[in-house]
Amino acid sequence: MTGIDWVLLVGRVILVFVALLISVLLYIWMERKVIADFQTRTGPMRAGPRGVLVTFADGLKLFFKESISPTNADRPVYLLAPIIATIPAFLAFSVIPFGAPVVIFGRTVPLQLADLNIGVLWVLAMTSIGVYAVVLAGWSSGSNYPLLGAVRSTAQMVSYEVAMSLALVAVIMFSGHLKMSEIVAQQDKVWNVIPQFPAFVVYLICALAEVNRPPFDLAEAESELVAGFHTEYSGIRFALFYLGEYVNTVTVSAIAVTLFLGGWRGWWPFHGAAAWLGPVLWFVLKVTAVIYVYILVRGTLPRMRYDRLMNFGWKYLIPFGLFWVLATGAIVVLPDRYGHRRGAFMAVGIIVAVWLVMSLVKQLLESPRPAPASREGLAT
Amino acid sequence: MLIDYLPIVVMAVLAGVFAVGSLMASSMLRPNRPNPVKLSAYECGNDPVRLPSGERFSVKFYLVAMLFIIFDIETIFLFPWAVSFRSLGLFGLVEMAVFIGLVFVAYVYIWRKGGFDWSAGEIAPNEADEVVERERALFTRSEQEVAKPPDVNEWQGAGRAG
Repeated sequence: MTGIDWVLLVGRVILVFVALLISVLLYIWMERKVIADFQTRTGPMRAGPRGVLVTFADGLKLFFKESISPTNADRPVYLLAPIIATIPAFLAFSVIPFGAPVVIFGRTVPLQLADLNIGVLWVLAMTSIGVYAVVLAGWSSGSNYPLLGAVRSTAQMVSYEVAMSLALVAVIMFSGHLKMSEIVAQQDKVWNVIPQFPAFVVYLICALAEVNRPPFDLAEAESELVAGFHTEYSGIRFALFYLGEYVNTVTVSAIAVTLFLGGWRGWWPFHGAAAWLGPVLWFVLKVTAVIYVYILVRGTLPRMRYDRLMNFGWKYLIPFGLFWVLATGAIVVLPDRYGHRRGAFMAVGIIVAVWLVMSLVKQLLESPRPAPASREGLAT
Repeated sequence: MLIDYLPIVVMAVLAGVFAVGSLMASSMLRPNRPNPVKLSAYECGNDPVRLPSGERFSVKFYLVAMLFIIFDIETIFLFPWAVSFRSLGLFGLVEMAVFIGLVFVAYVYIWRKGGFDWSAGEIAPNEADEVVERERALFTRSEQEVAKPPDVNEWQGAGRAG
């Protein structure tokens, strides 16, 4: 490797890192503004034009705040947990292609940090390490609420990880590659969201549960667990958890875009010097759209009850994921023999996906079963 | 190729330096005025009475961990197959269908045994009467113990002593 190669490599890494930080600042602001719109408030207005700098101001404030470490805390692990929450969040994003390859100094540079041949597995591995941050933070705090929150959210995250892997397996089967760049290349005619719509639905639901976002934010159900696993964290340590959480949100949205929504592909009229800009803009636009959907979900749906959350993960998503893996296999392999049946397979898949969404809504909205009638007779 | 991982190593170093650096920089710049109340575990201002060391958890969580391992290993088997199943053709598909079918039998067994039922929140109709009886027994007993009139004199005495 020559000097220019190194400059390009380090430059790309720094570019992605800074871009992620800035996008997190903007997405948090966007989330607060959209939620405020839902609730007929104005949201943040003070720092910067229309409050756009509010996240930066918050971060700066947290940086100068006292960080309390509780007496019962296991100090080394307690300090390690925020770091473990931050690093894998950035590493997971490293395999996402965010633009078409460009030519700089006569070299073709892919707009992607690392095009690993195990791309999808890498993402799964990194999101799994995120679970360690949660469980270590909860355990090392030496306090009751964090421990309960950590155990709860660990169970939730591992449960939904299985269904998420199954959704990803279906996409890999359909495109035949684990490499992110190949999966984007394979979507040049039809985005995977159309043939793989059920897997897309499963992935979106599981991604919400994976990053502990509403309506699956049981880890920090403030009415029961104060703030869940990071109750005892304050100041910059809390800020790192928050940062990791939002970087993870951006990452799962970027994975949804890459695997299902055609990645950076999109229509762009310019060629020549400005040609590289189009794919990047399309990528940002699509990621923003997915995050916007997540914010809408947060603004619309109430938090799920824990038993229903686990029921939904184990009893609906996992069997459906297994079914869809086999159905995808049939769609891909059988047309050689039974080409005319392809439409039927797709129809069955879409019907089952609709049933899945309906059952989730049912789980959310169903009024709680009345408590056993014993108490009325005994109250007097 | 191992060289592919080089940018990831650089990214890991950068993210690590950012995380550790901001923790250290903040520790130099922020105030540090601890006191015993501030440093106690959060429990709405009370002294924490039951600390979690040695606390036991609902067995459900252990069950989830075990089930997770079974099904996660199943998906790990699916990944290499998913990449190469086009070349394996119909034979590979049938093979995997048999494998998934076998795991699915176990899955149905766990479901029927109630392994996925998280709580007694959703009670089967035939169990409901039993639960009502149990709760009734619980409530009657505790009412007998609790329902004695409050001893006013004792309270006043405690107030004067305090």
